[in-house]
Amino acid sequence: IWKCAPEETVTSSFASFIHAVRPEHLSKIVRHRSKRMILDSIGVGLVGSTTHVFDIALKYCLLYSSVAVSNVYGKPGVKLSPTLAAFTNGVATHSMDFDDTWHPATHPSGAVLPALLAASQMLPPNSKPNGLDFLLAFNVGLEVQGRLMHFSTEAYNIPKRFHPPSVVGTMGSAAATAKLLSLSMTQCTHALGIAASLAGAPMANAATQAKPLHIGNATRLGFEAALLAARGMEANPFILDDISGCSGFSAFYSIYQPRPLPTPSERHEFLLEKQDIAFKRFPAHLGMHWVVDAALSVRNLFINYAGSFSPSLIRTIVLKIPVSKYINRPFPNSEHEARHSFQFNACTALLDGEVGLSSFTESSIHRQELRELLHKVVVEHPEDNVANFDKMYGEVAVLLKSGDILTGKCDTFYGHWRKPLSRESLLKKFRSNASHVLPEEKVETIITMVDNLENLSDSSHLACSL
Amino acid sequence: MTFESPFRLKQFFESVILLWRKTITGNFANVIHGLNKNHLTDVVIQRSKRMILDTLGVGLLGTSTEVCQKVKQYSKIYSSDISSTIWGHLDFRLPPLYAAFVNGVAVHSMDFDDTWHPATHPSGAVLPAVMALSEAFPQKKKISGLDLLLAFNVGIEVQGRLLRFSSEARNIPKRFHPPTVVGTMGSAAACAKLLALNQMKCKNALAIAASYAGSPLANAATQTKPLHIGNAAKHGLEAACLASQGLQGNNQILDMESGIGAFYTDYNPQTLPTLQSYPWLLDQQDVAIKRFPAHLGTHWVADAASSVRRKLVENSDILLILDKIEKVIVKVPEVKYVNRPNPNSEHEARHSFQFVACSALLDGSMSIQSFTSENIHRPALQKLLCKTQLEHPSDNKPSFESLYCEVTIVLRDGNAISDRCNTFYGHWRKPLTKQDVEKKFQSNASEVLPAEAIEGILETVYNLEKVEDCSVLNMFLSGQSARVLPEKLHLKHSNS
Repeated sequence: IWKCAPEETVTSSFASFIHAVRPEHLSKIVRHRSKRMILDSIGVGLVGSTTHVFDIALKYCLLYSSVAVSNVYGKPGVKLSPTLAAFTNGVATHSMDFDDTWHPATHPSGAVLPALLAASQMLPPNSKPNGLDFLLAFNVGLEVQGRLMHFSTEAYNIPKRFHPPSVVGTMGSAAATAKLLSLSMTQCTHALGIAASLAGAPMANAATQAKPLHIGNATRLGFEAALLAARGMEANPFILDDISGCSGFSAFYSIYQPRPLPTPSERHEFLLEKQDIAFKRFPAHLGMHWVVDAALSVRNLFINYAGSFSPSLIRTIVLKIPVSKYINRPFPNSEHEARHSFQFNACTALLDGEVGLSSFTESSIHRQELRELLHKVVVEHPEDNVANFDKMYGEVAVLLKSGDILTGKCDTFYGHWRKPLSRESLLKKFRSNASHVLPEEKVETIITMVDNLENLSDSSHLACSL
Repeated sequence: MTFESPFRLKQFFESVILLWRKTITGNFANVIHGLNKNHLTDVVIQRSKRMILDTLGVGLLGTSTEVCQKVKQYSKIYSSDISSTIWGHLDFRLPPLYAAFVNGVAVHSMDFDDTWHPATHPSGAVLPAVMALSEAFPQKKKISGLDLLLAFNVGIEVQGRLLRFSSEARNIPKRFHPPTVVGTMGSAAACAKLLALNQMKCKNALAIAASYAGSPLANAATQTKPLHIGNAAKHGLEAACLASQGLQGNNQILDMESGIGAFYTDYNPQTLPTLQSYPWLLDQQDVAIKRFPAHLGTHWVADAASSVRRKLVENSDILLILDKIEKVIVKVPEVKYVNRPNPNSEHEARHSFQFVACSALLDGSMSIQSFTSENIHRPALQKLLCKTQLEHPSDNKPSFESLYCEVTIVLRDGNAISDRCNTFYGHWRKPLTKQDVEKKFQSNASEVLPAEAIEGILETVYNLEKVEDCSVLNMFLSGQSARVLPEKLHLKHSNS
């Protein structure tokens, strides 16, 4: 059962890919999309450095800061050891659930970028990776995540058991850092194997303060796996394959059908080419974006109808949403719960005409008029509304006391991969986020650097600019 | 209060029920927080001290392994001011987190550490964490031996209780390696106890730890397996530290299927007994302490093979009759990751029924030496392996409580000689004597520590409840000798 020629296993095909893929394999679309992701991820991480959960993570990591070479988002004077910098920055990135989302579902960039930034500062001056190396490693990290998610049909729907970034994100980080550190093919194999033993966090911590740790740990532990592999640590070389009676990576899924990656010849079709990412417009779970857009259109109808939005005229608010327990919360009590509540986001959109950073403060969450509105909400789960980011929709119906009904439906919110954010919108989001912690010149420097990433001679400059 | 609709009424009742119902997670936090030294029974104290001694010895021996060298090198990138002892090393220290990691790896590096029922390696996930943590307190705060012993037992107890939440756990695992699931939680509980966290923070320590738990079994029988215990210790410690700093997770982490339940296909959590004369699991169910460094399942095989050998050759050398052997049949339960007809590395050899059977047949007994490269690859062994096959009788269940092993040698002349082992020496039904536990410890520790330090550890662990400042234990573990520190032993004389 253990004898298999190396070329034939799924695991070795992944290691081969990670090891052999070159910058030339990156297509224009892939470069363009991944640079957008890098920029958004940095911005989200910067604003995330103002959160409480980030404070805790940073304070904790500062205990171990002796070999401190890597920058921390939004804290120019502070450096940490590379994996802890990755951890802290990963926590920052996911602290407000403002980071990108892919299909099948995961938050790909936060699991990869912080590790690469930290690693770039770790390498000695004469072997710093250039911008193109960096961009390649980033895309290796994305590609591995995407490919792994295609091994299970479970991955297509909004998760129930394990939080995907903690499963595939860890593997993606291991792959990306293995690439940046130029590990051999064998070492790449073992990086994946070691990473699998560091993967997997249960869903129950979503909508709590601990959720950001999932991304923090994904990027940090994948990085650790690569560092251990670089020092000769060995794991099971069939970790991604189907091993009967003894689970490898398949442990995280009930259905698991692994397939080998094509070895990159002249061309490699990256998944990012065919399937773009969604960027969030406000810091909440992706599912919220559909109901918010639907609620906003209802609010407009309301204003046309009544002159202004008056909650007292409303009898019931009906939300038509897919079934997903961890985002169905009628009365959220914390910011983390509020970011994972269809009801909360719909009502906020109706009341305020927008949802933004300030929608999730303590005072906003507990204000009287919002709580009153929440009491009027009922949810319905139409059969055709599947819990899947490619197919779901959000529908809001406001039933007035007068008997009239105002409805709005959103199939594709602005920011979804079918309706991507324009360059202007993306930059607006970035500037708004970054300016919370960085002066204007630095903000513009980062934008320019990422725009011209392929031409950067020393990619650690990106990390230094944070 | 009026309700607009039946739905509203239902919502109201659901929230009330949630408030009133005691969650299991809350209950665990209550118990972790509420257990104190007076709850420790004599049996529990005695058994857990044996476990501590064995774990230390196994860990000291393990510091010399290749896997340990690699993690030591790796962890050195994290050196800082706050530091904890690396067992067997006077020359460098590491931050508590990485000390827990490295020492944990050492403990499991040779698969020589204790095993419990339901199956896990309980001590390795907990002891390195609490010991590293005990050195992280400010100077004036002393951790007594009893504090350490209590925290250790909290960590063991939590593991045992969690293992009883799923019927899957009763059998040898197939999907997730148990130390990585319950071990991480046990480490978090133990560290929360040592840190004297309040009930709320104990709950959060458990919640945060769950997000670090769970490694797939496929890395068993590879060099990465020891990291499972190292990481369990390290991540549990980290979870407790983060909780201590105020980080919050899901306070129903043990209750929900999408919490710890995520690691099992059937999951039925129960509340813990009340603190009133608390019934520790270790009181009812002892651990198995290994006599040689290999997967527990192979211990039945070794005992069966050794007694067949005795029947066969009495005093002569088995090599003389090797050619007369036609077949070796080993009857064991079906455990795929220990079924290796032709192991190539020490890690594979430690997870091979076939290898241990042949090795025990050749040498009469198993030892640390059985797993060296030379011994793994010697021709006589390879020859015997070719003649070895496994059989899986349907009455041989893959559970450490009920499995057995039968070894049959079939000779060319048609004669067959068999013997069966139901309970190997070292199993909880036939525990090692005090002398043999000490002998194993001495043999292990002497690979890296001087005699005085070894004596110091024995003395300290035997009297652990009376030790005022358990930092002496760490001092001995680093190799400092007893001669230097008689006054530090500070044994309480009041109730001896």
